[in-house]
Amino acid sequence: MPWINRGAIDRILHEFKDAKPIEGKSVSGFEVPKSRLKSFLKHLRDKERFVHFIDHTLIDFPEGKHRFQAVYILYNPDQNERVVVKSWAEKDSLPTVQDLWAGAKWAEREAYDMFGVDYEGHENLRRMFMWEGYEHFPLRKDFPLGGVPEEELPSMTEILGGRTDPPSHDFEFLHTKVPTLEDIERTERARLKKKAQLVLNWGPLHPGTHGTIWFLFDLEGENVLQSDVILGQLHRGMEKIAENLHYFQFLPYTDRMDYISAICNELSYVSAVEKLLKVEVPEKARYIRTLFAELQRINSHLLWLGTGALDLGALTVFLYCFREREKIMDIIEGNAGFRLTSAFLRIGGVHYDLAQGTLDVVKAFVKDFRNKLKEYHTLLTRNRIWLRRTKEVGIITREDVHSYGLSGPVARASGVPYDLRKLEPYAAYDEVEFDVPVGEVGDVYDRYLVRMEEMAQSLRIVEQCVEKLEKLPKDAPYVNKSHPCVIPPKEDVFTSLEDMVQSFRVVVHGESAPQDEVFVSAENPRGELGFYIYSKGEGKPYRLRIRSGALYNLSIFPKLMEGRTIADAIALLGSLDPVVGETDR
Amino acid sequence: MESVIAGLIIAVIKILVILGVVLGVGAYLTLVERKVAAHIQRRPGPMVVGWHGLLQPLADGLKLMTKEDLFPRYGNRVLYNLALIMALVPATLVFAVIPFGPEFELFGYKIKPILTDVNVGLLLVFGLGSLAVYAIALAGWASNSKYPLIGSMRKAGIIVSYEVAITFAVMGPLILAGTLSTYNIVEAQIEQKLWYVWLQPVAFVVFMFSLLAETGRVPFDIQEAEAELVTGFTVEYGGMKFGLFPLVEWYVEVLSLSAIAVVLFLGGWSPINIPFIGFIDPLFFLGPLSPFVWFILKVTALFLFILWLHWTLPRYRIDQITEIAWKVMLPLALFNLVFTAIIAPVVWR
Repeated sequence: MPWINRGAIDRILHEFKDAKPIEGKSVSGFEVPKSRLKSFLKHLRDKERFVHFIDHTLIDFPEGKHRFQAVYILYNPDQNERVVVKSWAEKDSLPTVQDLWAGAKWAEREAYDMFGVDYEGHENLRRMFMWEGYEHFPLRKDFPLGGVPEEELPSMTEILGGRTDPPSHDFEFLHTKVPTLEDIERTERARLKKKAQLVLNWGPLHPGTHGTIWFLFDLEGENVLQSDVILGQLHRGMEKIAENLHYFQFLPYTDRMDYISAICNELSYVSAVEKLLKVEVPEKARYIRTLFAELQRINSHLLWLGTGALDLGALTVFLYCFREREKIMDIIEGNAGFRLTSAFLRIGGVHYDLAQGTLDVVKAFVKDFRNKLKEYHTLLTRNRIWLRRTKEVGIITREDVHSYGLSGPVARASGVPYDLRKLEPYAAYDEVEFDVPVGEVGDVYDRYLVRMEEMAQSLRIVEQCVEKLEKLPKDAPYVNKSHPCVIPPKEDVFTSLEDMVQSFRVVVHGESAPQDEVFVSAENPRGELGFYIYSKGEGKPYRLRIRSGALYNLSIFPKLMEGRTIADAIALLGSLDPVVGETDR
Repeated sequence: MESVIAGLIIAVIKILVILGVVLGVGAYLTLVERKVAAHIQRRPGPMVVGWHGLLQPLADGLKLMTKEDLFPRYGNRVLYNLALIMALVPATLVFAVIPFGPEFELFGYKIKPILTDVNVGLLLVFGLGSLAVYAIALAGWASNSKYPLIGSMRKAGIIVSYEVAITFAVMGPLILAGTLSTYNIVEAQIEQKLWYVWLQPVAFVVFMFSLLAETGRVPFDIQEAEAELVTGFTVEYGGMKFGLFPLVEWYVEVLSLSAIAVVLFLGGWSPINIPFIGFIDPLFFLGPLSPFVWFILKVTALFLFILWLHWTLPRYRIDQITEIAWKVMLPLALFNLVFTAIIAPVVWR
């Protein structure tokens, strides 16, 4: 996707004299002083049509005059252009932009949580992932990688039982008879405002939440007056980990984000790093990547379909989906060696060449899956109960798609053709043919139809990839080992001296990245997964920001839930399809 | 005197047989359900305990029996346990008025295979059916927990809605038979050589809908809705106490209501009926056993049909379920009743 064009830059600079253009980087945009930030962003949104919110984050420069630099990434759907806006957080505070883009609400909360920067005027500025009362800000550079040791407080049960030492296998003490006062206080404080007498804790360990999201529903009968989302149960500090690892070392961690579509995550990550390191990828590797990313997309959508139907009571669809999913898992396992978190891609290519017979298996799968897809349609698409549960539920308007920064099938179901495979082709997506399905209404049923059609389109891509891979010679390179930052394949490392030296150098010193900034995103099954890498020219990224599609998609959930019933919550959540590994990172 | 003692002995034997069969079959229906579900989903189901998992219900029972008996803090212990009794007793009592076959003679005594042939049998059925709402409301309330409360309120809403529809639905066959006694209704169908399902298809459909709703089967299983409410009103129950609720709701109640459906619409123990021709009995070689086998076959067929629905369809939302009850089912049943009441005296007798 191109960045903002020269004409627009000049036009904006003419309007804002104190804005400075960012030059000499892989991204382009402006740097504006904090006092002008809000009006500048408003101008971008209203006059220049940068209506789609993509991401906001901070970078910590402990030695600078102002410590934190804010980064806003916006998108103009008319021109298909992105822009970066930077500003320094003077006195550790920034103006909130939640009134410009609703998606900024959670982005700012996350930035506050991780850096401790205050957002003036934010309606609900509290911890996003860490718990209330935590004193530290993990993504600051002075925060130790191992974390600050936590002092274990005794629970109420232990105090009542006269115990202060850590509990042993005495189960009488392990039972929490009374919730601790702290627990109650935290829950109370973690809410906007209590609106009803009956507050239902939905999660974190609830089968309907597909992971560990904690919802609080204020109920009036069965109707939800207001819902709060408390995240962070699966927060592992991916961004902090990335800052302390070489680029190639972080790759397996991306598998653990959206663990249902591991290869798509890897593809997004390696695309970003390859852009930063300027690595060319051989044709064969590009096609293998596309092939597996699309198989993974089908795999992920199958899990969504199965669990979504399971949530709405159709128990059998779940097992029918898993039957097909198993076949994809076998294909992935046969090539990558792992089923779920496959770590199959490498910077500059893929880890292994195609395993023998893979293409035949894939062809057989494609042939078979068309019929299976029909079977799912027969079970659900015209089912009256299914229609009644999904139609007119959770309608998302186009304005909301832009304002909340929604992406993936959720955005497309609302009629916004935002598909990065078309808009910013990576891997081999510019060389294959496929259509982008869009919805009309934007309700749960449209999201269902869009995802179902995406599976059919993925099959088309897979078929074309197979065709192309069959034509390519068997010994075509699958890793571009001529680039100094790429680790050569293992069999070469063991047989040739040069490759061994190169492998040794990269593994020990890391890739020597240039001083640059990149933002590359890819179309994941759950939305746009972007990587913003700020490199100071070392073997490790200075700052690596993960823009999670699932997080932004989830952020519209409280709005959609207003006035709906609990039974709709499950249909809605299923249609937004968040994976907690990615929302929490 | 002698006949009184004999009557008592016969009654006791009947009670023991019915209780044993109902509860035993109820337990084994769990296995049937799991097997049927498994084969619908293309998997083998329980295979480890016994031949093709035949001993699985025993293993399940043993597991549930040996589990810790949990009780929620601040719950109401009396109501909590009363709910169990209120669930089990009315559901089993319904079998007292279900005729399993025609009268037969044994050792000189005439025996009707029905516990008590009271002349208001059907009234009893629906009286007892309405009692089921107590069990669930009490279970939800006594647990002192939010999920059970929501689940039980949902269920209460459904039962209140469908109890009306089901009562109006059975009025049709009642008018045709002219009696409330379950035994006599079957006899009337045999005499008139016509199953009432041919005359009352609308009532039958309404009855089946209400059956699904009252027993909490898909697509009306919202009081359990494992994805929303985990398992609704049984959340705070543990061990065998937990096991009893599904046993009662999903098996004993489904069995009893299917039996009532067979009695009302499918001619009880009579063999296959073709309108205007009469009865055809392909099982004639079983002799006097054939009516009993027919009864069991019909109930089994209905039960399997319900299982088939359960494992295929998604579930409705609560407001949609009550909407169907009040806006579709009740008018249909009422219309059917009025129609029958006008036509029947003219054409029927």
